[in-house]
Formats: sequence, C-alpha cells, structure tokens
Amino acid sequence: MTVEDKLKEKINEIIDDLDLLVGYSASELPLKVNPVFIKNREDVKNLVFNKLCINNLATYIYNLSKKIKGTAGIVLKPCDASSVIQLLSEGLLDREKTRMIVAGCSGVFDYKKIQKHLGGQKIISLELENGNLEVGTINKKNTLKAADFYADKCYWCQIYNKPPLYDDFIENDQEPGIQPADKYADLEIIESKSIEEIMNYWDGQFSRCIRCYACRNVCPLEICQDRCITNLDEPYWQSQRINTQEGKFFQMIRVMHLAGRCTECGECERACPKNIPLAKLMKKSAQIVERLFDYKAGQEIDKKPPFLTFKDVEQNIKEENLS
Amino acid sequence: MNNNENNTLEASNGFSPGGDPGKNGGVKIVAFLCNWCSYAGADAAGTSRLRQPENIRIIRLPCSGRVNPLFIIKAFNQGADGVLVSGCHPNDCHYSEGNFYARRRLEFLKEFLPFIGIDKRRFSYQWVSASEAQKWQNVVINFVKRIEDVHAK
Repeated sequence: MTVEDKLKEKINEIIDDLDLLVGYSASELPLKVNPVFIKNREDVKNLVFNKLCINNLATYIYNLSKKIKGTAGIVLKPCDASSVIQLLSEGLLDREKTRMIVAGCSGVFDYKKIQKHLGGQKIISLELENGNLEVGTINKKNTLKAADFYADKCYWCQIYNKPPLYDDFIENDQEPGIQPADKYADLEIIESKSIEEIMNYWDGQFSRCIRCYACRNVCPLEICQDRCITNLDEPYWQSQRINTQEGKFFQMIRVMHLAGRCTECGECERACPKNIPLAKLMKKSAQIVERLFDYKAGQEIDKKPPFLTFKDVEQNIKEENLS
Repeated sequence: MNNNENNTLEASNGFSPGGDPGKNGGVKIVAFLCNWCSYAGADAAGTSRLRQPENIRIIRLPCSGRVNPLFIIKAFNQGADGVLVSGCHPNDCHYSEGNFYARRRLEFLKEFLPFIGIDKRRFSYQWVSASEAQKWQNVVINFVKRIEDVHAK
C-alpha cells in the first residue's frame, strides 16, 4: 500500500470533522501537482501524494484560518509541518482549528532542475523507474539519474519520516535514498570571495529582479501579503522603480522580517521567475540566528521566537567597544 | 563661506550616492541616537567642548529599540559610508527593555551585512550614557577613523 493510498484512507476517516482540506491533486503538466481544496467525501479520490509534491501547502493555512469557522485540514510533508509549527508558536494560528495531516516523504523532485537539464524543452511525460527518471520530450526519451534532481532542501533533510508535530501521521516505507550533502557548501563559496565580489554577485542577481512579489506571496510565514511595507506611501520605504537597488532592498525587507522565522522550505526560490538564489539569503539568516540565539525555526511550539524575547546576558553576542 | 553653504545644501538634500564627499576627508556617517542617553551624551560632549570629527549626522530616536534594522540598510543604500547606533547601557533603558531587543536585532544585522557585500566594519552599535561625554568623543573619533580606513581601501 503506497503512502498515497494510506493518506486517502486516513482522510476518508476524518473528512467529516473538517470544514476544508488542502491537499495535492494531479495536474495536466507532467512535472507538477496542483493544490486542491476539498469539502466533500467524493473529491477525496482526486488527492495525490508523490515525489512531485514540492509545493508547501502551509502557504494557504493562515488566510484560510481567517475565513472558515471550523477546522481546516492540511496535507503536509514533514518539512512543511515546521512552517505550520512556526505559525502556531507565534500565535498566528489556532491549534484547535488546525489539523496537520503529515505524510512521510521520500524526497521531492525539483522540476526547475529537470527543465534546466533538458535545456527548456517541452516535457510531456515523467516516470520513475529503479532510481532513474524517464523524462519524455517531444521527440526523445531521456533517462536521468533521479538522485541528482531532488529539491535542494532534500539533501540535508533530517525529518523526512519524523515530523516534529502532527495530528495524523502517515508513515512512508520508502527510504529516500538520497546522499546527504553539506548544507552550507554554497554559502561558503560566496563567503570566500572579497566584499566587492560579493556585492557584485548580488547586484548581478538582483539586476534581474522584476519585483513581482512572487517570493513574498508564496511564503507561508509572510502573512503581511498586500499590507507589506513596500506597498505603503506612508511611511515611504521604497519607490515603485524597478532596479537592482530596489530589488535588493525588497529582499532585505524579507530577510529582516523572516529572521528567526524562516523554516527554509525554499518556496521563494522555487516561485522566483528569474531564478534568483533567494534561499541562500534565508539559509544564511537561519544560520546566524541558530548561532547567536540557539534557535531553530519551526521545531517547538512553546519556544519564543528569538526577536520577541531577550536575555540580560547574551552568551553568543560579543559587543565591540569603540571607546 | 562658500564651502559651508555647499555643505548645508547637501545635508538638506540627504545623501547622494557617490556624490561629493565634502570636507574632512569626506566620509558620511549616520548616527541613530536614543533620546535619553546617547543624545544627551552627545549634547554633553558638545557643551563641554570636546572636539569631534564633523562627519556624523545625528538622528534622534526615542529609544535604540526604535531602530529598525532596515533604517541602517536604507542609509547604506542611499550612500552613507558608515552607520552608528547608540543607546543606553543594557539595564539602563528608559523603557526598561528596548535596548535588549535592539541588541539582538542589531547583532543579527551586523552578522548578515557581509553576506550581501557590506563591510562589517561600516556598522557599529555602542552604549553611551548621558554622562559619558568623553566616551562619546572617543566613539566618534574611533568610528570615523575606522570608516576612513575602510573607505580608503
């Protein structure tokens, strides 16, 4: 019995307790799955759960919780569960009204990597066989090594089969079989450069930014949405101009507002139409927060986020004295 | 006289990125000072005639906890060479805990700045109380010196 069948069985049991369920359904595109909102038992058969479910459905839960009276059910991967835990720990969600249905994960494929590998050809089919991906393009069948095409976050995932918190857990017998990689390797490459080179690197990346705000809108923790300070005239933080500086400043707003909150789901980078490596910024910020405040976002519900609390004596902060 | 006029004009227009650095070797530093300790300390330094470099433009805020890390990034974006934040010593905050929150945010920012290509030494936060005019003078002198070093490179 696959994890998908077990998930459907579980949801059939509990669907009557829920006002609404957020899950994945099949899409016409071979590399993607769609989010689906289910109210009736008949629609449960449309659910899917497979290695293409890269989307973080926790994105929807905050707005949904404002709109519905009863319980909202949500299908999550263990990594997505940490986004919900973070929202709960900040008091933004009602624990009673949120039902976390966590399915064990065996890694998800990053469709952007597959598309890039095939040079942007149109993909018409995708199958997984014996650790190989059979990707059909219009005139050819390509065999790719599946282990190279997982989402970045899967290579250092520790919780694929043990979510920190859940209401219902569906175990996944399938081992991910992914060779773990060094999480901070790409940060070290950047940090080994000189300060001007780093500036030029980011200027180059952000010269592509079109300020579409996809990164903000897809983020499960950026609940400000259209009340974001970048859209305000008073106080006036940012102009509507599109250039490198403004794009970079917008990203700094995101970094500052997500420091100590980001659970590194990588959705911002996935949603970016210009492929700006936003996850690197988030990873760096999480690394600093962990080192300074010994805090990892999305792990415990009772722990206060680092910027909402303080200590008299901060062990990890060394203040410089200029006098 | 002419020189002075230029300076006032510049100051009222805000900072122009890559603009004329002005006199005194030219670095431009924005200082965010808390109303209760550091602003009074800087004031005391002025009234007791302690000489300090003139590169610092002071912005007075109610508390160092009022300092949004984005103020600092925005100042850098608009061409400041250095940013200094100063407030009451920990445990001395007029609002009892504002500077504790500030310390966490500012330390995070300080660690993050090098990753986006801004030298760590261009930003600093200090605790200066109302009576520490001498300390304020030292902080300003040392900070300006440091910024000039970074700028010269």
